[in-house]
Order: sequence, then structure tokens, then C-alpha cells
Amino acid sequence: MGVMKIGHVNLRVLDMAAARNHYENIIGLIVTDEDEAGNLYFKGWDEWDKYSVILSPSDHAGMDHVAYKVETDADLDTFTKSIEAYGIAVEQLPAGVLIDCGRAIRFQLPSGHTMCLFAEKTFVGKSTGDKNPAPWPLDVKGVGAHWLDHCLLVCPLDPENQINTIADNVNFLSKCLGFRLTEQALVGPDEDIQAVAFLTVTNTPHDIAFVPGPTAGFHHASFFLPNWGDILRSADIMAMNKVKIDVTPTRHGITRGETIYFFDPSGNRNETFAGLGYLATPDMPVITWTEEEVPRGIFYHSGELNPAFTEVYT
Amino acid sequence: MTVLRIGHINLRVLDMAAAVKHYCDVVGLIQTHQDESGNIYLKGWDEWDKYSVILSESDSAGMNHIAYKVESDADLDLYHKSIKEYGISVEMVPAGTLACTGRALRFNLPSGHEMYLYAEKEFVGTAVGSINPDPWPDGLIGAGAHWLDHALLMCEFDPEKQINKVTESTDFMIKVLNFYLVEKIMVGPEGAFQLATWLSCSNTPHDIAFVGGPVMGFHHAAFFLDSWEDVLKAADVMSKNKVKIDVTPQRHGVTRGYTIYFFDPSGNRNETFGGLGYLAQRDRPVTVWTEDELGASIFYHTRELVESFTTVYT
Amino acid sequence: MKIEQTLKNHNITILDTNEIFKCSENDHLLVGMRSLGKKGIPSGCHGGGCGVCKVKIHSDKNNYKTLSMSRAHISKEDEDNGVFLACRVFPLGDIELNVIGKIKRKCINGSKNFVFNY
Repeated sequence: MGVMKIGHVNLRVLDMAAARNHYENIIGLIVTDEDEAGNLYFKGWDEWDKYSVILSPSDHAGMDHVAYKVETDADLDTFTKSIEAYGIAVEQLPAGVLIDCGRAIRFQLPSGHTMCLFAEKTFVGKSTGDKNPAPWPLDVKGVGAHWLDHCLLVCPLDPENQINTIADNVNFLSKCLGFRLTEQALVGPDEDIQAVAFLTVTNTPHDIAFVPGPTAGFHHASFFLPNWGDILRSADIMAMNKVKIDVTPTRHGITRGETIYFFDPSGNRNETFAGLGYLATPDMPVITWTEEEVPRGIFYHSGELNPAFTEVYT
Repeated sequence: MTVLRIGHINLRVLDMAAAVKHYCDVVGLIQTHQDESGNIYLKGWDEWDKYSVILSESDSAGMNHIAYKVESDADLDLYHKSIKEYGISVEMVPAGTLACTGRALRFNLPSGHEMYLYAEKEFVGTAVGSINPDPWPDGLIGAGAHWLDHALLMCEFDPEKQINKVTESTDFMIKVLNFYLVEKIMVGPEGAFQLATWLSCSNTPHDIAFVGGPVMGFHHAAFFLDSWEDVLKAADVMSKNKVKIDVTPQRHGVTRGYTIYFFDPSGNRNETFGGLGYLAQRDRPVTVWTEDELGASIFYHTRELVESFTTVYT
Repeated sequence: MKIEQTLKNHNITILDTNEIFKCSENDHLLVGMRSLGKKGIPSGCHGGGCGVCKVKIHSDKNNYKTLSMSRAHISKEDEDNGVFLACRVFPLGDIELNVIGKIKRKCINGSKNFVFNY
């Protein structure tokens, strides 16, 4: 019983042709399906379920929902109970509402973001298969991202009015869904405002993360690469394709990951995240960043937060 | 007769203790000498001559002089003649004027920068020696830079007043010192003005570079690292030491090098330059960058010029 | 030596600061501005999604073309009034504009360092 991993993210895009080119030819995801409504479905070559990214045509950018996969179908009933007991309304979605998925449940995080849980999604297998597999497939495109790694969501924070949906999300995900806090920033005059939080359900440093903003929004979806050398190559590929890079290759203090932030053609931020960072086992002590070191926590090298990083999101 | 390579650079620093700490603990150079005036001499672990950096305490930052090593002592007489014939006043200074160095020629480039040529400097050997050497020595500190790679000098540039010291210094280096042009940036109507040049006397993409600015000055001294991985580690080292990083790890369009720009405690810009880039040859076609790709030429990933890059120097 | 310039450049004037930069027809206004290290219009996602680069264009509609941008930031009425996101505007002639968008920063009371906007 439990939440197993991130399942997929559903993003809204303004121009589907441009978006398809970006996710397919630059990030290197594989198109696995297209539905009647014009939604496109993608997976990384190293993923085995049918899709991890859904792109939906829209007149505004941003995230429609993020979904996590649970271990068994019965878990959905257990989670329904615990989420409702927590005081959050849960909607039951019959099989197929999430395309190629079994039944699912849908609810809103305290921050207002829509989250779905599902137990089953059509299996299609990795590009390298499961029998005597090659270490990587020859036909990957662009940067050849392995898998969707995590999402970072912007959550309303207004300490003067006792609003902190970051802390609310942490509380909810820890108590109801078994997520574990790995890193946090505590800020404010009394160092008691939990303004940044990273949580995991696996052993990676984060499967979801929250930062503050004026309104709920989508900060980025991150795609995994093995190492720093892959990061250089992906930055080169982005530059060749004139992709808008928000933050060039650098290290995160938080998670120790090696990163590039960039934008899809609709302005949704993407990340390529390299390296494991560390093994976040359940007994790992929570890492705390103090207010003056938050910029170094986010961008370890420059130690400065660029205004676009904190203000620009969809 | 030929110029072999860059020999050393003499930088002015405001606080000697802070400067030595920076060049030893962060860049990873080794102190090899101190003279009666308090100047401190340093070398990289992979260099065999006594020093490649001289630090001189002063009330202003910047570069005192840059020196190149020629093949033989007799070359100095030939260069003495040819420099004079070019119309530049030149002086032969006796052995010991430059510490641990034989006789040398002193002159100023058309851009005003002071340059020395010398043939002999005391040999001390690399940290791994020359007999059955290990690939790298134990006990490396900081970024563990291998050697002084090149310097970039800012030259007065004002097309409206028909001043272009980039072109003048470039012409001198090519005609008199037999450097060859590797890359250049052309700007203005129909790309009429040479804004920047990269010149080599070896097979690396540059042993010296000139960029146009409002006044002459020192832009940066670069230290060599093997790889992109070393560049990541160097950036981590800088952040640990709270060194002001001007530009975090990125690729140059020009030279293809992997770079970090950062400042020493006196505000002199340093670079760690990773990778060879390519093997430059005298018959290699000159790479030209145009004004509309100015950003990408310097900072390939962002394709945007950083304001401080062209305005901040000593 | 002369280098062939294949792209047509236009003058973009930021009326707020009287700063002028050149922008080619193939580039949107933010690329023109940033590739020469110039500032003035806030630079964000460059994809019409985030809304920070909002400008009001005073020049004739024939002097530029636009791509689709987020309705969360630019309404149809905005477009009729010459209000666009600079990252979706490509010049066909000279353009004069005012900057509307900005990157706002606000601090937690009593906190000097925390610069996340919220």
C-alpha cells in the first residue's frame, strides 16, 4: 500500500505543433498516442507505462493536473477514505477518464493544484526492452531524457494573513499520502515560515516540491538525465534550437542535482535534472536551509536567485 | 624563431593575503617564490617553469604586464629589431629584472598593455615530475588548475572616432610576433568593425584575446581545467568559498571552451577554461561571428550577452 | 572586410527609457533586446505563457506580426489596444512601445533576504 512514483503531468500549450517539436525533438520524449480532443501523450525512452506527459491545446499555459501512481487498485479506496477524513473532497473517476488508465481519484491539494492517483496504466515497455537490454537506445532524439522526474508547484503564501499553502501541502501529503519531507527552507523573522518544501515517496531527493508565489501555478516539470556531461550536451542542443534557457547548467544546493531550466514554446518551464543527488531513505534527517542561504540552496554556484526564476511561471 | 606560449601574468591586488588565499585555495595554484618587494609568485601543478602568475600589492586592481616565452635567447634580438621596425619603442631589460628570468624585451602593445618577451625562466618541474609521472598529483587544492591558459585584454574601441585598438594590437601580434587569427567578432554596418579577436601562437584556440571597450584594461586571466566535470567541481569550490561568480558554467561559442567567470578578491576577473575546444592550426579557416549572434558567440547557451561581461573589468 | 547581413533590422524604441535597440524580422523583441545585453522589458519565459513582458505598442499594426499568447495575460481587448507580450511580437518595421509588465518582488515583513515573490 502506498504512493509509488510520479505518474504523469498534464500541461496546457498554446501551439501544439511547436510544443510537439519541443517535447519530441528537443527533450527527446516519444509520442505514444493522440486522442480526439487533440491531446498528445508522451513517454521517456526509459519509462514503461504508456505516458508521463500529456499536452493539451489551450489558450493559456500551465498545468492541468499532476498524477501519481499507487501500488494497488485497493489503495485508491484507502486513500479516498484518508483524504476525505482529512477534509478534502475526492472525486472518483471511472477507468478511461485518464486515458489508458484504470479508475482514478481526483482531488485538490490545499494549494489548489489538481492531483490524481491511479493504480494502473497501459504497459508499453522501455525502448530497450526487458530482455538483455542495451544500456540506451540508438534512436533517441534531442537530449534523450530518461523519464519525468518531478514537478515543482508554486503555492500561495501570505504569512500576514496566516496563509501558508506550502506547509498545508506538506502536512497533507505527509499525513495522507505517505510522502516524506527531505528538504525545506524556514524563513521570516522567527525562522518558522516553511516557504520551500521538497518531498519524496521514493528514494530520490524529491518527487514533488513547493515554492511560494502570489497565486497557485506551475513552476516546472523535470526530466531525468544521468550526468553532468549529458547536461552540457542538452544545453548545447537547446542553444542550437534557440530554446529559451532560463538558468544555464548549474548545481542545486537543495537535492545536489545538476540542472538546466528552460521553457517550452508556451512558456511552461522545464528542467533537465541530472544525477541522483543522494539516497533519500526514510530515516534521512530533514535538511533545512535558512533564509539567507536559500538562494545558494536553489542555485549553488551563483548564490543569487534570478528574478525570472521566482516570478515567471504559468 | 617563434613565440612558444604564454609565460606569466602580473596582476595588481588590493589585499595580498586575500589574493594568495584565492589563487592558492580556490584556483589551486602553488606559491613558489616571494621577492623583496613582497610580490608573490605562483604556478599551476602542471607547469614546469618557476611561475605563471605574479601578484603585486597595489592600491588599484588590474594587470601590470603579460609575458610570453620565446624559443631561444637569440630570438630576443630579432624581435627587438622587428618590434622597433614596426614603430613601437622597445627596451631590453637585463636578466633578473623579471624574477628568476633571463633578459627580456619590454614594450607596449598598440592598445597600451605592457608585454614582455623572455626566453629563459628557472625550471622547477611539474608536481608529478617528468619520469613515469602520475596523471595528477595528490594534495591538489581547490579547482586544481593545471596552468595559466590565456588572457583577454580590453582595448579602446570607438568607431565614431575611428579608434580601434583591437585591430591595431591584432595587426601587431600577427605581423611582428607571428601569432595567427583564430576567431573574430565583426560588428557595425556591414560588419565593418573588428570588435574582438582571438589569436594563437600554439595550437590552442587562443593564447591571447582582445575585446573592444570604452577604455583599455584587463578583462580576465584563464586557468586550464581538463573537462566539464572539473568545471562543475570548480564552481562548487567557488561557491563553498563564497567567491563571486560572474558567469556560471557555460559553453563559449567562440573557442567551444567550457567556462566559469569569477572574480578574485580585488575584482580581477578569472576564468576556468575547460577542454581544448579544438586544435587550432595556421591553415584553419578563421571563424567569424556577426553582430546578431554576438550573444551566442560569448555565451552559447543563453545566447544573451551578460551586461557585466563588457562593462566590468580592471 | 564586409560581412553580408541577410536579416532586416528595425529600431525598437522603449519610450519609458528612450532606449533604442535593433531587432531583426526573424527575432521576437526580447531576443533582439537581450542578444545585445540591453535591458528595459522584463524577460521571462519567451513563450507567451508567463506574462511578465507585457508592452503597449504605439506603432502601426503593419509594423509587426504576433504569435499566439496566453489569454490568462492578454485579452482580445488588449490585443485591439496594441497590448501584447513582447516575446510574441516580431518587427516588420520600426516600433515604439511602453513597458507595462514588471517583475514584482515583495519581502516577508521583517525579512531582508527572502526574495521569492509571493
